[in-house]
Amino acid sequence: MAALLIGLVVTAALVLTSLAVYNRNERRLLKLRVRELSLVLAATVPSIQTPLASAAELADATGGSAQKFRAFMSPYVGAGRQFSSVSLWPLGTSHLTPSAVLGGTPALESMPERAKQFFTHSTRSGVLNLTSFLNSPHPALGFDFSAPGHAHGFAVYAENPLPANRRSKLEKNSAFSDLNYALYLGHSRRSSDILVTSVKDLPIKGRQASDVVPFGSGVFTVVVSPNGSLGGTFFKDLPWIIAVAGLLVTLAAALMTDRLAQGRQRAEDLAGILDRVAAENRDMYTEQRGISQTLQHALLPDTLPSVDGLAVNARYIPAASGVDVGGDWYDILDAGEGRVLLLVGDVSGHGLSAATTMASLRHAALAYAALGSPPARVLATLSNFVNSKPHTYMATVLCALIDVEAHQMTVASAGHLPPLLIDGEGGQFVELDVGPAVGVSNDARYQERTISVAPNATLIAFTDGLVERRGEVLDIGLARLRAAAIGPRLSLEDLVGKLARELTSEDHQDDTAILGVQWLS
Amino acid sequence: MAELESDPAAEFVIYTRLDPTGDPIITLSGELDIAGASSLEKTVAAITAERPVRLIFDLSELRFMDSAGIAVLVSATKNVDAVTLRNPTVIVRRVLELTGLSEVLPIES
Repeated sequence: MAALLIGLVVTAALVLTSLAVYNRNERRLLKLRVRELSLVLAATVPSIQTPLASAAELADATGGSAQKFRAFMSPYVGAGRQFSSVSLWPLGTSHLTPSAVLGGTPALESMPERAKQFFTHSTRSGVLNLTSFLNSPHPALGFDFSAPGHAHGFAVYAENPLPANRRSKLEKNSAFSDLNYALYLGHSRRSSDILVTSVKDLPIKGRQASDVVPFGSGVFTVVVSPNGSLGGTFFKDLPWIIAVAGLLVTLAAALMTDRLAQGRQRAEDLAGILDRVAAENRDMYTEQRGISQTLQHALLPDTLPSVDGLAVNARYIPAASGVDVGGDWYDILDAGEGRVLLLVGDVSGHGLSAATTMASLRHAALAYAALGSPPARVLATLSNFVNSKPHTYMATVLCALIDVEAHQMTVASAGHLPPLLIDGEGGQFVELDVGPAVGVSNDARYQERTISVAPNATLIAFTDGLVERRGEVLDIGLARLRAAAIGPRLSLEDLVGKLARELTSEDHQDDTAILGVQWLS
Repeated sequence: MAELESDPAAEFVIYTRLDPTGDPIITLSGELDIAGASSLEKTVAAITAERPVRLIFDLSELRFMDSAGIAVLVSATKNVDAVTLRNPTVIVRRVLELTGLSEVLPIES
C-alpha cells in the first residue's frame, strides 16, 4: 500500500516536473519563432521598397515619364506578382491624382483628401510609407516611396489588397506552418487593425507570443500561438508517457511489494516451523540427555563391592548442560587376598562414542586387573589395547591397588591427576611419575609407586572436572580440593558429598567422577 | 542451550601461518574445549594432509585447554614426526605436565 502511494506521488511529481519543463520549453520556442517570423516580415521591406525606390528615381530623372514608369514597373505588377496596383503621383500640385497607373485602380485615387494627407505627411527621407484601407469593401495596404529631397518630385505608390476576411493560411510546407498568427497594423491588437490572420476568431487565445515589426515608417504587430507542439509531439506527450509509465511502475512495485509481503509471510511461516523443529529438537535433546545419563549410569558400577576394613564411595556428577554423555568412569573391584583395585578414567571427548570407548576401556581394564596385573602393567596393557586399533581419542587413567590390611597402596597414572591422600596430618596429592595418557604413544611405559598409608586414611581419586577451572592454573584447583577435603574428619560418604557439593558449581561444564576409599582402622 | 562464553577473549580462535623456516604454525587463542576441538581437528587434518615434517602449535594466547583439546594435539603427533608446542601459558603447561604429555608434546619456549 505504501509502495502504491509513494509510486503515485513520485509519478505525479515527475509528471508535473516534465509538464513544467515542457511548458517552459514551449514558451521559449514560441518566443524564438515569433522573433524569426518578425525578422522574415521585416526582410520583405526591401523587396517592396527597392522597386518603388527605383521607380521614384526613374520618375525624377525622366521628369515623370509615364511610359518609362510603366515599362519599368510592369514586371512587378499583376496577379501572382509583387503588387496588384502601382501608380505614379506628381507631388506639389493642389489636386493630387496619379499620372500613370499600372494594374487596378488604386483605392487612394478615389479619396483625394486622404491622398493629400498621406503624401503631405509622407516622409521624404528614403523610407517606405504605409497606409491602409482596412474598413473599405476592398481592404488594401498602400506603400509610398518618394526619392529623398525632392519636395516637388514624384511619389510611387503601390497597393496590395488584403483578403476579404483577412484569413490567410500559411502553406503547409511553410517554415511557419506550426504557428497560428495574426498580423496587426501598428502597435494595436484591435481586430479593426488586423491585416491578415490564420485563425477564425480573434484575438488569438492560449499560449502566445508577440513581436513588433518595423515596416517602413510604421510597424506591424505579429502575434503567434503554437499550432500543436513546437518541441515535437514526443515532448508534448512526455508528461503523459511519464504518467502512464509511472503508473505501470507503481502498479508493478505495489504488486512486487505484495509478493515480497507474501514472501515475508512465507519466511515467517518457515521460521515458525523452524521454531517448532527447534523446540522438538530441544525436547529430543532433553530426552537424549536423559538417555545418555541413563547409559552412563548403566556403564558405571551400580553397586560397589564391600570390603572388610574399607569404606568405599563414589559419585558421578554429570555436566550441567549439553546432552553429551561424558567419558568419565570409575571402577573398584575385589582383587582377592584383601586387596581392591581402583580405576578412575576420563576419555577425551564427549558423546556416545566417548561413552562407548569408556565402556570398552573399562571392561578391558577390568579384565587385565582380574589377571592380577599390577597397576603399571594394567595401564601399559590398556594403552596397547587402545593403540592396537585406529583411534582419535586418548584417555587418562589412574590405577591403584590397595592392600587394606597392610595399609599400602600401589599407584600408577596414565596422564591422570594424582589422588589426594588425607590422613591425620592433613592431606597431600600422591606424587607420581605420570606416564602419557593411554592411546597417545605406542610403547608407553608406566611407573608405579607403592605408598604406606596411615590408619584411618582417606584416598580421593577424581577426574579433572572436580578441579579444572577456566583461566586458572590446575594447581589452584588442586589446592581448593585439598582445602575442602581436610579439616574435621568426616565419614567417607559425607566427605564425597561435601566435595561434590562444594567443588562443582551449578554450571560446571565437565562431567566429574569422585571415587573415595577410607580405611576404617 | 547454555549461554556461550560472554567474554570475547574466551572465544577460541585458530590462526594458521607458515614459520620463516616453512613449518606450519597453528596459533590457538582463547579457550580450547570440546566445542573448539572439532574445528581444530579439521584444521590439523588439513595441514597434516600436506605431510609437513614439523608442526608447531603456538599456545601463547591459549588460556584454557581440556582433555578434548589435548587429544587433538596428541592425534597430530601420529601424522607428523615432530609436533612442538610454543610458549604455552602456565595454565596449559601445567595441564600438559600433569597429564604426562611433556615428552609426547615437547614444549619450546
